[in-house]
Amino acid sequence: MSKNSFAAVLANRFGAGVFFVGKVLRFVFFLGFIFFLLKGTNTLAGYTLNQTMFFFLTFNLVDIIAQFLFREVYRFRSLVVSGSFDLVLVKPISALFRSLMGGADILDFFTIPPLLIAIYLMGRSLDPTGIQIFFYLALVINSLFLATAFHIAVISFGIITLEIDHTIMIYRDLVALGRFPVDIYQQPLQGILTYLIPVGIMVTLPAKALMGLVSTQGVLLSFALGIGALLVSFRFWNFALTKYTSASS
Amino acid sequence: MRKYLSVFRISFAREFAYRLNFVMWRVRNVMQIFFVFFLWSSVFSEPGRVVFGYDRDKILTYVFGILILKAVVLSARTVDIAGEISTGDITNFLLKPINYFKYWFTRDISSKALNLSFAAVEAGTLYIILRPPFFLQTDPFLIFAFLVSLVAAVIIFFCLLFLVNLVAFWMPENGWAAQFLFIGILTESLSGGLFPLDILPQVIQKVLYVMPFPYLLFFPLQVYLGKVPAEQVTVGLSISYFWVLALAASLNIVWNKGLRRYEAVGR
Repeated sequence: MSKNSFAAVLANRFGAGVFFVGKVLRFVFFLGFIFFLLKGTNTLAGYTLNQTMFFFLTFNLVDIIAQFLFREVYRFRSLVVSGSFDLVLVKPISALFRSLMGGADILDFFTIPPLLIAIYLMGRSLDPTGIQIFFYLALVINSLFLATAFHIAVISFGIITLEIDHTIMIYRDLVALGRFPVDIYQQPLQGILTYLIPVGIMVTLPAKALMGLVSTQGVLLSFALGIGALLVSFRFWNFALTKYTSASS
Repeated sequence: MRKYLSVFRISFAREFAYRLNFVMWRVRNVMQIFFVFFLWSSVFSEPGRVVFGYDRDKILTYVFGILILKAVVLSARTVDIAGEISTGDITNFLLKPINYFKYWFTRDISSKALNLSFAAVEAGTLYIILRPPFFLQTDPFLIFAFLVSLVAAVIIFFCLLFLVNLVAFWMPENGWAAQFLFIGILTESLSGGLFPLDILPQVIQKVLYVMPFPYLLFFPLQVYLGKVPAEQVTVGLSISYFWVLALAASLNIVWNKGLRRYEAVGR
């Protein structure tokens, strides 16, 4: 499925190239913004330039891996609206797996290696201990659990309401609130972003763990939330399937 | 004139055909304002702090100004032109006694009217919730210059978006890609929508100021905030209107070349 997806993208090389350049430019512009902002202010919510950049890079890591893996979600609506989702349901493959991961995005695949190098270099400048690195990696995996749960919830919601395009973009806007540490937001928004819509746990917490600002209990609680969200999203998916009408097929 | 009034009315009504889509789009705008508002609130958390020439009042006025200006300048239906070219639907308009540019400009104005009314309500609501300090400009010259720069910004964006969509005459499958790069990335980042451009080093600012992008959002807002000296206001307005003329002329040339290339595929 991923091979087909890569081939489809590469069939329109010019469009794919422009899209790729756009993504890189957006990243560079924002990184430049952080750099010049922190040059003028020295700190942001108590974080230094390197720490702030590390928050931004970690946000990108979670966001890009989720987009790379779950690109098919952006094409799910047409399957449901046209009734073509029937053809997915009758095949001997998990409908959830097919709907979620049936078309990895090669453009995001190319951006992951340089991002990992940048994270390594920036992370090293923060001088983390072995346990802090372990917590960071564990919490990034937990972030992907949460991202998976969100994407499952979006496609389940899509089956029930036929609305996906804006829901997924709102999810991405919410996650984008984590480009900077959630500490910059005032209460009650900070609490909402940490516990209700766990952007803080997805993006801010892993970076904080590398800086030694998260306890073991904090890591365990985050995992409990991540796994819990994943289980709830599976149940929601099963519920949504019972509402699928196969209309237009 | 009456036919364009009808286009305005119909276009306005069409925006309501997809209400959920429109509401979601507005929700996204509000969320972006939340992000920028809290970011700058955090930077200016110490009372009396001045950074990059802004105090708390001015930067938060900038954030709210962006919400309003984006609705006025960047709301547009012209994004649909590339699709009309690639499907061949543009043929219907070429055969009708209607000016294609005026048709889309009218539709843009209709979209702006709707978005502006929603943005005003949102700004009012956010103002009540967040209670930000607000800088009110009282100098009549600067208010006039702000309005003149706003008119230029609307025309520049219309020409820019129209031009980008004409790429579909040559590459029917890639209209979206050109829009993503020029509108989604360059306009969003270089117009001041994401951050005030004067936080950048002087060298980069000088390069930016010869491009059309800063004259979409950043320059009008700077004029409103009184951050541009009087003599520089005239220079800025001259560059804005230079871009209006240059882009309008380019649009005319590219449109004519595009029409000669057009094969009405799918018709």
